[in-house]
Amino acid sequence: MKDDDKTKEQLDELAKLRENEQKYYNLFDNASDAIITIDLEDTITLWNRGAEKLFGWTRHEALGKKLPDLIIPPDLRDERDKIIRDALAGKEITGIETHRLRKDGSRVDVSLTFSPIKDANQNIIGLSGIIRDITEHKQIDKKIKELNEELKQKVVETESVNRELEAFSYSVSHDLRAPLRSIDGFSQALLEDYADKLDLQGMDYLQRVRAASQRMAQLIDDMLMLSRVTRHEMKRSNIDLSALATTIAAEMAKIQQLQRRVDFIIAPGLVVNGDAELLRAMLENLLGNAWKFTSKHQSARIEFGVTQYDGKYVYFVKDDGVGFEMTYADKLFQAFQRLHSVSEFPGTGIGLAIVKRIIHRHGGNIWAESEIGKGATFYFNF
Amino acid sequence: MSKRSILLVEDNPDDVELTLRALKKNNIANEVIVANDGVEALDYLFGTGAYAGRDVNTIPEVVLLDLKLPKIDGLEVLERLRKDERTKIAPVVILTSSKEEQDLVRSYKLGANSYIRKPVDFTQFSEAVRQLGLYWLVLNEPAP
Repeated sequence: MKDDDKTKEQLDELAKLRENEQKYYNLFDNASDAIITIDLEDTITLWNRGAEKLFGWTRHEALGKKLPDLIIPPDLRDERDKIIRDALAGKEITGIETHRLRKDGSRVDVSLTFSPIKDANQNIIGLSGIIRDITEHKQIDKKIKELNEELKQKVVETESVNRELEAFSYSVSHDLRAPLRSIDGFSQALLEDYADKLDLQGMDYLQRVRAASQRMAQLIDDMLMLSRVTRHEMKRSNIDLSALATTIAAEMAKIQQLQRRVDFIIAPGLVVNGDAELLRAMLENLLGNAWKFTSKHQSARIEFGVTQYDGKYVYFVKDDGVGFEMTYADKLFQAFQRLHSVSEFPGTGIGLAIVKRIIHRHGGNIWAESEIGKGATFYFNF
Repeated sequence: MSKRSILLVEDNPDDVELTLRALKKNNIANEVIVANDGVEALDYLFGTGAYAGRDVNTIPEVVLLDLKLPKIDGLEVLERLRKDERTKIAPVVILTSSKEEQDLVRSYKLGANSYIRKPVDFTQFSEAVRQLGLYWLVLNEPAP
């Protein structure tokens, strides 16, 4: 009876061991990485399904073969011998990146992790290795490197274009204005010194020459201003657009003697992250336009706030001025495009081009809606 | 006491003519020495080249300095005259076409006293010259 009990106990123990072994074998076999064991003669003793999938050799083909004959590229034998020596010497081998061969002769990028197998007396009797396919990882790495290179190249190109633009603007700023000074200055000299030799028409012509040269100077300045927006180095911080709009409105009211009533309705607390100088220029232009295009009305209402547009929050500047035909809406933001003559409303047509460029530099968009005689609304986001 | 001279450093003959005209219109009667490039300007200031033998202790009441000049540009002229004991204190007004930020910053860093961008409108230019003359030739007390 006692003996029977003992045998049953042993059998139970054995069953438990088998169960455990099966559990671990399943883990081993179902692992997505290749798991291989070898003895000290490099003979393959275990070869899981991951290894079959990675190397193309079935378990049947692999077991009992010498490992180097199957998966070690000839040129990497020395490297491999060193790794084995290190592993046998007890050194930790984890995540070593190298190549291995597939059955079809192709190479695969892998990472290796090795550990020694010991018997009951702590003697090393072989090695187990986990071999992970890192092809995808390598490809992603390569792609990242390529993109990085591309980016670096783009930065270099941008820098060179910027330098060229800088040099161009510098030259425009210095050289294009000088002849205009001569044209204007000597026309004025003629008007002053030779007034007795000129009739009214002659004087009128000279006045036109002067007016044209001054207008051209203005156009050059505007062009430079536009290019300055592009060249400007952005310094981001939190900007209170409401406070800024309030300041600008007060400045406009002070400079332009008020012979009409202009109500500014500015929503409080509109804060964005952006460049202080550029955002100020943006609001100056938008509010300045609203001011200008309401100037023929006895009273005007100019609004700055935030609203929903197609389900998204957008900022807006709205006036009740002369407005424009929507047919020309896309022309508004192009440099030197105007929807009114200079005699109707002064300007060169640069303001909204500057505004658009500033908003683009902040990663946003701007568009406008209007109807003749019913004012205009400019919507923008960042 | 005889009035000290104005040194006008300007390569464009039209601009020279217009500046002289503006000075005259505003009754500024100081002698005007015109230097057509940076080398001439330095020659005048340091009594070298064409101006060898000039008494360099008499420094101009004001130097009107263009920036874009042949041979030696305006900024270098400014740098050199600020480094020299004799001309260190000479008032220098940059009178130029551009208002590019880099020009402004560099001019002031090198010790310019004032920076005026020449307007295209001659009426405005003349007014700028009038105020410049009033300030530097009348109101300002020069270093002895």
